[in-house]
Amino acid sequence: MKNKLQQLKDEISSQLNTVANNELLRDFENKYLSRKGKLGKLMKEIKDLGEDARKEIGQFANTTKQEINAKYLEIKKKFATGGPKNEFIDVTLPGNNVKHGHLHPITLIQKELEELFTSLGFIILDGPELESDFYNFEALNVSKHHPARDMQDTFYVDKKNEAGEYDLVMRTQTSPVQIRALEKHGAPLRGISVGRVFRSEATDVRHEHTFYQMEGLMVGEKLSFADMKGVLELVGKKLYGPETELRMRPKFYPFVEPGSNGEYTCFLCAGQGCRVCKHSGWLEILGCGMIHPDVLRASGVDPEKYTGFAFGFGLNRLVMLKYGIDDIRLFNSGDMRFLAQF
Amino acid sequence: MLLSLNWLKDHVAIPKNISPEDLAQKLTLHTVEVEKTESQAERFNQVVLAKILTIRKHPNADRLQVATVDAGQKEELSIVCGAPNIAVGQIVPLALPGAVLPNGIEIKEAKMRGEKSQGMLCAEDELGLGHNHDGIMVLPKGKPGQSFASYLKLDDIIIEVDNKSLSNRPDLWGHYGIAREISVILNTKLKALDFSQVKLSLPANKKSEGLKPLDIKVENYNLCPRYMAIKLDNIEIKESPAWLQARLIAVGSKPINNIVDITNYVMLELGQPLHAFDAQDITKIVVRSAKKNETIKTLDDKDRKLEDGQLLITDGQKALAIAGIMGGADSAISATTKSIIIESANFDAAAIRQGSTKLGLRTDASMRYEKALDPNLAENALKMAVELIQKDNKKVTLGSELSDLHQGFKSIPAIELDLGWLNNLVGQAIPVEKTKEILTNLGFVLTPTGKNKNGDETMSVKVPSWRATKDIAIKEDLAEEVMRLYGYNNVSGKLPEVSMEAPEKNEEIALEHKIRNILVKESKLTEVYNYSFTGEEELKKLNLDDANYIKLVNPISKQHTLLRQNLLPGLINNIRTNQYRYDDLGLFEIGGVFLNVFGNLKKNSQSEERLPYQEKQIGIALAGSKNELFSEIKSIVADLIYSLISPQIEASFVPTDMPIGYSDKELKAAINVLGKNIGTIVKVDENITKGNGLKKIVVMAELSFNELLKLVQNYGYKQYRAVPKYPPMVRDLAFVVDAKILYNDIRDALKNFHELITSVELFDVYVGDKLGANKKNLAFHVIYQSDERTLTTEEIDTIQNNLINHLQSKFEAQIRNF
Repeated sequence: MKNKLQQLKDEISSQLNTVANNELLRDFENKYLSRKGKLGKLMKEIKDLGEDARKEIGQFANTTKQEINAKYLEIKKKFATGGPKNEFIDVTLPGNNVKHGHLHPITLIQKELEELFTSLGFIILDGPELESDFYNFEALNVSKHHPARDMQDTFYVDKKNEAGEYDLVMRTQTSPVQIRALEKHGAPLRGISVGRVFRSEATDVRHEHTFYQMEGLMVGEKLSFADMKGVLELVGKKLYGPETELRMRPKFYPFVEPGSNGEYTCFLCAGQGCRVCKHSGWLEILGCGMIHPDVLRASGVDPEKYTGFAFGFGLNRLVMLKYGIDDIRLFNSGDMRFLAQF
Repeated sequence: MLLSLNWLKDHVAIPKNISPEDLAQKLTLHTVEVEKTESQAERFNQVVLAKILTIRKHPNADRLQVATVDAGQKEELSIVCGAPNIAVGQIVPLALPGAVLPNGIEIKEAKMRGEKSQGMLCAEDELGLGHNHDGIMVLPKGKPGQSFASYLKLDDIIIEVDNKSLSNRPDLWGHYGIAREISVILNTKLKALDFSQVKLSLPANKKSEGLKPLDIKVENYNLCPRYMAIKLDNIEIKESPAWLQARLIAVGSKPINNIVDITNYVMLELGQPLHAFDAQDITKIVVRSAKKNETIKTLDDKDRKLEDGQLLITDGQKALAIAGIMGGADSAISATTKSIIIESANFDAAAIRQGSTKLGLRTDASMRYEKALDPNLAENALKMAVELIQKDNKKVTLGSELSDLHQGFKSIPAIELDLGWLNNLVGQAIPVEKTKEILTNLGFVLTPTGKNKNGDETMSVKVPSWRATKDIAIKEDLAEEVMRLYGYNNVSGKLPEVSMEAPEKNEEIALEHKIRNILVKESKLTEVYNYSFTGEEELKKLNLDDANYIKLVNPISKQHTLLRQNLLPGLINNIRTNQYRYDDLGLFEIGGVFLNVFGNLKKNSQSEERLPYQEKQIGIALAGSKNELFSEIKSIVADLIYSLISPQIEASFVPTDMPIGYSDKELKAAINVLGKNIGTIVKVDENITKGNGLKKIVVMAELSFNELLKLVQNYGYKQYRAVPKYPPMVRDLAFVVDAKILYNDIRDALKNFHELITSVELFDVYVGDKLGANKKNLAFHVIYQSDERTLTTEEIDTIQNNLINHLQSKFEAQIRNF
């Protein structure tokens, strides 16, 4: 038995020395090293030996096998890293496939905004998606029968308060975070919050009942409209380049006074007018305003001492503009053909 | 809302150099959002009136004629025409080369069978004005060359305003209010409304004719602060005059008859809704709330059941109209109406809004009332309506004394305005005169009250009634008035001066991002965002009980009726929609779930009531055809723990009895870290995957975000351990044990056996017939290491032998030699 092994070892060694390319190496592997190869067969025979012999031969066989393997690997490595000069190597062959994962595009814009605002000293805030009527509306100066409730179709959940009214809503905006944050941190404060918001409206290419907003606020002594404008101008330049300008026009939001809309120079046409900006040269990006004194009061902040401003961005819109996405439903579709592009 | 430029020009001068587009832009920048401006005439571009001068037969075609026409140009034009009805002297519409007709035909100069044709004479249908194609449209009169649009008086520009941008402005729901804004923006004159000539009662010398006031009762003045009404006799119902119809058509309101059109006209002018009743059967009017089970047939011919408390106009018995929302069919104006009652009332905004929401009925009237109208407006509106009706038909006479029921109107106190404060809020000084001019032009009355301690002027500002219902109440509201008209874009931005501060880190959000990065970059998973909602059907298919889910009151689809309690349903959907395009899928979501128990967050800072418990979860799903997916998902979880917390802290997987509806009976485990359960992994049961239309093997992991956060906060710091000075000794150990003995137990037995064993690594698991039934072979590297010395073979041999004995006695392990 031991002799057979020794013989095979010699045979293998000499054969191995004649192997000149990858193809021959594969033949060699099949002939000797594979499960049904010569070495494999011999190893199986060892099993049938008596116990003592098995122990002795076994050890020898193992060492032999290891030596042969080592030599085989060495030669294999040589071919892999260059091989003999006479074999053509196609350097254009691709490497192995690499698998990729993908972050959701809303996550990407969220990170971009969070980094921008934390660099300006804003903290990152968070609030619940299922919110009370108080924080989502009342504290934001939208009383029960305020017409502004028409601006937002609201999902209510089937839980009533002691007065028998539905008082829990899927938040229609990230603005309730303003109140919770001021209650928790007090003034002065500057922070932003990114999150999911809900409106009970039918979905189509441009409408979703679930979408994403970023809310920002800054409260302090003597903050002015001009301060708000300065911050938002800076944000525009950071998002869309140093030439970006901000255009503001009045817009009613019950929780700010004065309230405004913000448009940035269209970054696609540099303000020249294009299809995306409807030939106006401006992209409507944000809503903002000086925080209404009632809202500050509802958050426990004295409006005679502090003023502040708040602003909100629609993240879906930012992402759609940035990447040229034309259907808002893709965000919550889970469609890999969409997600794998980010 | 649609606005007619011509109509606006009745009230305010708009300089010629301001184009409609400029005007729209200025309105947008200072007052309301204009969605678009459109010229009514655009569709008749290059269509003019022409007079037919001569007609001759076409030399080469029997059915054609050649006309020469005067189209107001230097030279006569030659037109080939096929219609037989033309005659010399007629005035007809002519489409010149370049015209694009409403039916899409583009007119070009052409030769028709050898004869030059410089345009086309048009039939009604070709101009989109009817279906008549009997012949060329012959006009009664007109000047050659006049544009056809101006001939039809379609020379208006329509400005469309976004209604949402008017939601806080009750005063802007009519042309006059917008005209007032334009007058302030352009600093031009606004014509005053003057109804002093309109008499709503008979002159003193005719009182003897015995007109009586109407019998009207208002039950609750909170719901109806003012009710004005008057009866008019000798009414004749007919078409409205052309000018009135043109105005209504321009702003998209369909002309109906002279009375209804006038009430609509007044509303579109002043913003005050009016209602005209046929007075024939009305002897009494009671404004009251609906009783149980009351019904009404409304103007749109629908029978409506009225909710308790709905505000109604009644005749004392039955409902005549739903107050402020829609009139009733029974008292509607008809062709035979001879006598009418005109109502001009003020209703409570909240009551109208509530009623209209409950009825699901929003009308031009309800939209205006719910913005909180000025009660003073009712009087002007009624006067204007009576004036127009009497102008239209001189025979109309008063049929009653005027009724005007109210209990006085609330007024708001003047607002104290400090211009120093204003400038601080703006962040720059607006010239004092400019501020005063803006406020005065808007109708505010300013009374100086002196100066503040810095020498800035202060004043007391009286709010005009049309802004005083809720829109303007505090000094910040005045600041907006001044700033928007001064121009937001005339304020220069500056960066706030603040003391330097390092923002406090939000650990939750930071952890979310960290988890995402690990799952994407290391485990190559794709992040999905799924809806926060699920549905009964979806849960049923996953063998989950929907009993304790929070329901939406007003879902918009039956797939989305409940608030999700875990992320699985969404991930299952994602796999289904992607499965035919991808062999393997690896997805995850970090998202909120909602449980039907109280959480920590308060509903209100003043109350102790709490919101339902909400937390974030991490859901991971793998789908493919390999059986190893269950082991793959363990690697993903283990890697997450390794990367998030520390290489020294491991995730372990322990058997669980937890009932998980969708799980395979065997392949499920709890994820434990430092003895704490932080989630589960399961293979989704094959019946469930089939039942959900999935063609793949699916495994899932769910982790509690809060538990991970706690672990990261408590253990997520790295601590360096000195690199060992002495070499480790590695011994391999393989043994066969009963298949039911858990890896976790064996690993612990090995690891805890001796202090020199610093780690054990499983490197092979083999199950096969050769081992016998219910057996498995495990192979470990056992690593011995000391910080103090180099270990000797002998001492390790001794420990290893003891270890073998230990395994034999504890697990009945059969040791295999190498």
